[in-house]
Amino acid sequence: MSILDECCKTSETLAMASVPLQEWCEPYDLNTALSKGTIFPCLNMEFFRAEDIPCSICNENQSPQAKKLNEINTISFAINDLTLYLDTHPACEKGLSLFKELLKKRLDLLAEYAEEFVPLTHLSMITGTPDTCEYGWPEGPLPWEGGHI
Amino acid sequence: MWCYEKRLQFPVKINKTCPKTAQLIISQYGGPDGELSASMRYLAQRYSMPVKKVGGLLTDIGTEEINHMEIICAMVYQLTKNLTPEQAKTAGFDAYYIDHTAGLWPQAAAGVPFTSLEFQSKGDAMTDLFEDLAAEQKARTVYENLLRVIDEPDVREPLKFLRAREIVHFQRFGEALEMTKQKLDSKNFYYFNPEFDKEMFKNKDAN
Repeated sequence: MSILDECCKTSETLAMASVPLQEWCEPYDLNTALSKGTIFPCLNMEFFRAEDIPCSICNENQSPQAKKLNEINTISFAINDLTLYLDTHPACEKGLSLFKELLKKRLDLLAEYAEEFVPLTHLSMITGTPDTCEYGWPEGPLPWEGGHI
Repeated sequence: MWCYEKRLQFPVKINKTCPKTAQLIISQYGGPDGELSASMRYLAQRYSMPVKKVGGLLTDIGTEEINHMEIICAMVYQLTKNLTPEQAKTAGFDAYYIDHTAGLWPQAAAGVPFTSLEFQSKGDAMTDLFEDLAAEQKARTVYENLLRVIDEPDVREPLKFLRAREIVHFQRFGEALEMTKQKLDSKNFYYFNPEFDKEMFKNKDAN
């Protein structure tokens, strides 16, 4: 049974709008996905006045900390986008297997970041360096300061 | 239940103070089509949604909108954190500065304060989903209006990201509309309100 048969297929009628169900399309690499704002090339509909914007996320010359945070950001964003996809395509096997793979990698990255730099969540304090790290907020810059990047 | 993670969904690093740009961007914090309005809209509507998966989608998109609010606020903050009194006076940020100095407060670009009148929660699944579809389009228009007049690449990059999310959310709400339609009689989608006339909604236990 295809996804289309299983979900969301109603015939067109008067006085009602329809949006076709998205079919799976091969995702972008993680850096490109965050830069474009979606993991799905088929949903990337550019604005003509914004095509010239460079991808600063793709910049290779980053500090080790910025690089690792970028990895966390890109993998987390792919998970965010897949979450919404799976909300409306819960039986999509390709989506589910990628989702699980990324979730696992993200947990490892969060633990590595806590170990090497600072915990990003209270939960990561235990996977990081619990003996030396201070409680929560004093460690590392606040996210809105643009500190790590 | 929500948990906080010490990072932005999309990184923001703006070095140049520009109160004029901040005054425009602040609309996506507290304006009629801003991210605060978006998150409150979806998180308010979800409770009474008749289709469980749609209530779940509203929770996930509403949560993402809070991330977007944080991105917008970080941009406004970074554009004004080193503001001098001279810049506040000359650069179009003067009225805001008098009331809020360089603190964050949700308002539209034209100074109208945020109010819950910016969004609806109508208690009718179809009506609310159309409100949500329209909201994503309105926000897309605002991001395009901003991208036309703002030149700084470090400001444009997060705006481009946020615009792209509006299109993805529109698609997901469209799919939520289809999921809701599927539970109704396609000969007359308007025979009853599935969110209120519960005895008529035969599929209510289905996901």
